[in-house]
Amino acid sequence: MNFWQRMEKMDRRWVYLMVGIAVFIPFIIPAEFPISITPEVQKLYDAVEALPDSSNVMLVFDYYPSTIAECEPMTIVALHHFFRKDCKVVTLSNIPLGGPSMAEAITRSIAPLYNKKYGIDFVNLGYKANYVAVLSGMGTSIESIFPTDNSGTLLKDLPLMKEVYNYDDISFIFEVADNATADYWVSIVHAQFGTPMGCGTTAVSAPKYYAFVDSKQFVGLLGGMKGAAEYEILVNKQDKAVTGMSAQSLAHLLIIGLVILGNLGFFLGNREKKEAAL
Amino acid sequence: MNPNMLEIWIIAFFTLALFSFLYKDNPLYKVAEHIFAGLSAGYYVGLIWDTVIIQQLWDPILDSGKWWLVIPGILGFLMFARFFPKYSWISRVSLAFVMGTTSGIFLISQLHGLVLPQMQSTMLSLTTDNGIIASLLALIVVIGVISTLIYFYFSKEHTGILGVTAKVGIWFIMISFGAHFGYTVMGRVSLLIGRVHFLYNDWIGSFSQIF
Repeated sequence: MNFWQRMEKMDRRWVYLMVGIAVFIPFIIPAEFPISITPEVQKLYDAVEALPDSSNVMLVFDYYPSTIAECEPMTIVALHHFFRKDCKVVTLSNIPLGGPSMAEAITRSIAPLYNKKYGIDFVNLGYKANYVAVLSGMGTSIESIFPTDNSGTLLKDLPLMKEVYNYDDISFIFEVADNATADYWVSIVHAQFGTPMGCGTTAVSAPKYYAFVDSKQFVGLLGGMKGAAEYEILVNKQDKAVTGMSAQSLAHLLIIGLVILGNLGFFLGNREKKEAAL
Repeated sequence: MNPNMLEIWIIAFFTLALFSFLYKDNPLYKVAEHIFAGLSAGYYVGLIWDTVIIQQLWDPILDSGKWWLVIPGILGFLMFARFFPKYSWISRVSLAFVMGTTSGIFLISQLHGLVLPQMQSTMLSLTTDNGIIASLLALIVVIGVISTLIYFYFSKEHTGILGVTAKVGIWFIMISFGAHFGYTVMGRVSLLIGRVHFLYNDWIGSFSQIF
């Protein structure tokens, strides 16, 4: 059995192990790989920068805990950006499992850094089932959909919600999603109410949503951990995404190498079979 | 062990239990999988009960006198008729309502919000007013859209000019698949990085406080 035949028959668990090691190494031996800023991320950053200070913005936690590695850095850095500009932030989620509690935990951990008070500077609306009804209904009245916030406080008792009645009072929506809810924010909210919107999404969904930036339905886009890392650099809050990019780059190099080896093995193996047949 | 530490160790245990499947299926993996499924179902039921039944049906009817909410309440209740074969037809009333409203909302929102804007964004000027590169990119978009659409046109055999255009369409589709696959790899590696980040910084980091 030659090298290529051995490669073809290699147990896939060796590949898992190699990828695991490749991801682990940069955490033990930190290595820096260059991260360039893509136009889509720059546009998103510029759009937030262009918002007047103290604008009301909506940050949507439409992702499950399974994708926090990609989505959480986006919401964290967006909150830093919003709070730095003194924006009033309304958070909500269309994801039942984890969405509201992640919004609660993240906003409450970052708000004190900027002396922001709950109810005055930020509010977490929580979760409501049936996103179509939720997204449409908030165009008429947010209170009709969310009579209370995530903790059960009536919206009329929260000072911020006295000035945020519906989408007309929201200057910008930043949707962070790991699923197709971003489609509905575009087709229901942006199309019908015209609220400017940016999106952060997992790498798996990113290719689809680039088209929404071209059509100007999104002002900008963060695609996966790379997009989050770029945004962290722009906001100057380098954190988990930037750290993770070293491991990402190393794992990609390994996978590229394995793909090349696999293809070489396939073609050389085919040639040997043909030669043997002759 | 403080509560925070206990949380870290529980998360680490379930992460490693699920990763153990990469070696082979085992009881530890099955335990983790079943606990996750049970917890998710329980959490979901509780959340829906509180945020929908209590907050949007029960409280408004009793506290605010919004008696007309009884109608959607009854429609929702009728859905449970599906569990009784003899009366399952009753649930069709509720389903008809859901299908009717959903179709109405989606027809307009999909057409107005997705199809038309996306079509509009492919109708690009091919003049060189914005530079040669922009013009070239616009040309690629136009060729890509037309050739891909022709690949999915099945009312005529793909021969002659139609066949050549469809082949160009295949190339665009393949490039698109490549981009999607590349991004998928990146996404999956990111998820692994997230877990490794937790295991290295939080879990292994907690060893010094315990041992």
